[in-house]
Amino acid sequence: MTRTRPQCGLSLFLALSLTWPGALLAASAASAGDQHLITLKASAMPSGQLAYEMVSHKVKSSTGKESDLTERYASGPTIPGPTLVMKEGDAAEVTLQHGIDDAQLPVSIHVHGVHYKIDSDGTMKLLNGVADEAAFPGRPYTYKWTAAPGTAGTWAYHDHAFGNPMLGAEDKGLFGTLIINPASGKVPALIDGKVVDVDLADIKREFILWMHETTFWGQELNHIIEGGKEIPLWTNPTVGARLGEKVRFHVIGIGTAFHTFHLHAHRWIEAGTVGGAVDTVNVGPISRTSFVVKAGEGVGPGDWHYHCHVIQHMQSGMMGDFKVVE
Amino acid sequence: MNYTSFLALALVAFPLTNAANAVERSKSEDVIISRPGVLPSAVLEMTDEPGKWFKDPKSGGSLVVIKPGQAVLIKMTDTNTDHTITSLLWQPGAANFPVDQERPSNASVTQTFDKPGLYVFTCKVHPYMLGAVVVDDPTTEGLDIGAEIQLVTGAKVPTTSDIAKKLLRTFFIGTTPALWRDYRTPNWEVKLPDLPINLAGSVLKLSALNFSEPNALLQPQIPGVGEVWVDTQFEGVSGKTKHGTATQIDASNWTIKQKVKGVEQNMNNPHNMWTDATYKYIYQTEWFDKRLTTFDRASGKVYNTQVVGQNPSHAMSNPLNGMLYVALNGEDRVLKLSPGEFPTALGNINTGPHTGPHGHHITDDGKYMITPNALASSVTIVDLASEQATEIPTGGVIPIAAWSDMDHKAYVANLLGTPPKMLSSLTVIDIDGKKKIKDIDLAENYDPISGEHKGEAYGLGPIQTPVSPDGKYVVSANFLSTTITILDTKTDKVVKSLPCEPGCHGVNFGLKKGGGYYAYVASKFANDLLVVDMDKLDIAGRILLVDPKDGQITGNYGMGGQGVLPLPLADAGMLAPTLKLVGTGKLSPEVEGWLTLVTQQQRGN
Ligand SMILES: [Cu+2]
Ligand SMILES: [Cu+2]
Repeated sequence: MTRTRPQCGLSLFLALSLTWPGALLAASAASAGDQHLITLKASAMPSGQLAYEMVSHKVKSSTGKESDLTERYASGPTIPGPTLVMKEGDAAEVTLQHGIDDAQLPVSIHVHGVHYKIDSDGTMKLLNGVADEAAFPGRPYTYKWTAAPGTAGTWAYHDHAFGNPMLGAEDKGLFGTLIINPASGKVPALIDGKVVDVDLADIKREFILWMHETTFWGQELNHIIEGGKEIPLWTNPTVGARLGEKVRFHVIGIGTAFHTFHLHAHRWIEAGTVGGAVDTVNVGPISRTSFVVKAGEGVGPGDWHYHCHVIQHMQSGMMGDFKVVE
Repeated sequence: MNYTSFLALALVAFPLTNAANAVERSKSEDVIISRPGVLPSAVLEMTDEPGKWFKDPKSGGSLVVIKPGQAVLIKMTDTNTDHTITSLLWQPGAANFPVDQERPSNASVTQTFDKPGLYVFTCKVHPYMLGAVVVDDPTTEGLDIGAEIQLVTGAKVPTTSDIAKKLLRTFFIGTTPALWRDYRTPNWEVKLPDLPINLAGSVLKLSALNFSEPNALLQPQIPGVGEVWVDTQFEGVSGKTKHGTATQIDASNWTIKQKVKGVEQNMNNPHNMWTDATYKYIYQTEWFDKRLTTFDRASGKVYNTQVVGQNPSHAMSNPLNGMLYVALNGEDRVLKLSPGEFPTALGNINTGPHTGPHGHHITDDGKYMITPNALASSVTIVDLASEQATEIPTGGVIPIAAWSDMDHKAYVANLLGTPPKMLSSLTVIDIDGKKKIKDIDLAENYDPISGEHKGEAYGLGPIQTPVSPDGKYVVSANFLSTTITILDTKTDKVVKSLPCEPGCHGVNFGLKKGGGYYAYVASKFANDLLVVDMDKLDIAGRILLVDPKDGQITGNYGMGGQGVLPLPLADAGMLAPTLKLVGTGKLSPEVEGWLTLVTQQQRGN
């Protein structure tokens, strides 16, 4: 959609961007980056929980090269849902199919972090005043997102319609992760005691941990396997890496509870500070953090515990291990 | 009749994604160091919806079937308040059992089951919230229930025993509104499907638990004085997403005057009521919520609703000064409020750590309050003048209601008995001495294996246990035996057992016209109010709690009977402040009229 904009006269374009400031950024970004064509489906898990699954993910680069990333994803619905990775400057068309058996209720994707127009809000007309922006059985809905400059980070996407037009069914498992990598291809990290810019290409594994009520729901993005691989890790898993590997954690909250994420024996830089080291982060609903550590740095191999530091959540088993092997 | 939950049970095909296989082994064996955690194969969602307190999102029922080694996620979903997830019964020797969340919260549980058989979960705050997991070994015939079950009370019983059958029947009736006893129909038919169940090798059908009983309403011959309020906590109401009404019955002719619904407030599971000295206001607790609602007794108009804390259960006033005390079942305190149109919180009385007080009672001289601490095996005695609290351990499992007599002796109902010996018990407390006197075995004459009961002491699972206003009897509503037991306070022996209804729950006394008392008994899974004549120690009436003229009721008609509030209050000490107001103009002509009917004996003279 943003691509059709430049046909308008400059004055009209400026007027548009004044009424909707995101348009200018969005338009300039779209021309620079990749175009993602993604189809997701909302389905029921065997347990009766609901979840998103990947149907297809194709990418057309700015040079016109096309690639199909679908194989990278786990098959079937997963909690959290498929992790979508884009970079600043990319744009995406995300089509959602309704695949929840025996349910006529609409289901949607409401995304955080990226730019979009109001018809891609993923909410119901009751809320947005424009349209029911959701998939119905046999009637998919397409959202358009722009990863404009400044949107780099780890973001949530989730349902905002199913069962309750004000809330949606994120609580039942309809949530997933959107990672927007910075255009620079580098992220700051505390490595061997110094804050350095780490090349994203040097990160071997990424661990996604959602903190939902008293449970971690995990996933690994493995970049060692050719083409990359997304591995569902379900509840309170062991995440593992080799000693000295640079790994990136993405920790996101969902639901109603507030958590304190803690990883033993590792430190990282607090977002927004210049090298202030931390080993805990407060995580509330849909708030998130993402950080890089060097596995076992200064401490060596071991089963390093990670957990929520809220006592009651810990007592309910909200914990797992970061396994660092030689 | 609707059998969705049973059908689902029979049709479950065990689809499963094995967590370990989700990791592709081919080329990734040495590359992937991460190891997946448990993936739940089934979910039970805790809700406020009557009968669906642990709800399988797939079938809508309260029972899920899994295979050994699989896991179930139990989580809180459509609920406005905190609960616990606690094992009621489980398979002896099962790994990681029992499950017990110490205090109410909204925390979830992902539980793996290794041993085939039946597992039942409950909430310690609302112990009739029931959800079941059957771990079924697919290589054996029928659904595996197991050879024995371990009860939370410490007893281990064979699944073929009478007590196990009672628990199974209670589970299926409680979680299936279509099986609740509806007195608008000629018979109560409990029909379970012909599903084969396996009790340690012997296969029988679930339908072996079936039975049928005729439904017969009965009009009491002697009228009562005033009116009776019953919390019909499970009625569906149009315009509300939450359930429950308060039903007002005219005791002079046993007709329903009105149902108070709190549509605008979305009144949620009204559980127990109290009033002020003028009988103008009714204070209504919302047990599955955090609120206290105040409405007009005569008109039913709701004045206000206010947040008071987690799981407000019972409300009661001090007859000396009218102060209102609301027990917060999900917390460790009783809230003190001023009476009137808008009760104002004045302070808290701490009942002790992790106590969760439920059905408290105030002595009729206004000196003491006793709280049965549902989440601790204890009671707390509070000196109301100094507000000093003393917690006394009792050893009872889920002490749920207490009632004191004129001599400061209190009877406390232990919902699940006193281990190791008593399956069902009342604890007797000396309030002045702040000590436990003894436990009374309410089911002394019952054999839990054969089910034989020779003698009157046949009360299993007591809930409310008030002392009659003349101090002679303690009447208990027992949910598991579905009996009403009447205990003689002189001997502390059960002198009578009467049949009750499924989900037998709330009891309170009202004035019988011409002298004497009626005990009114409300049941959760039936839509009648039982009337017991305390002079004859027999059932005098069964009154329908359905109002056919009320078009706003949409389901569970007349069901969910819990708190009972007869007016005038029958205890002489509680009645005294109202009698003092006669002729002052503070009482409505209707209330003045009731009071002219109170006999000298009923006044305590
Ligand atoms: Cu509860
Ligand atoms: Cu109660």
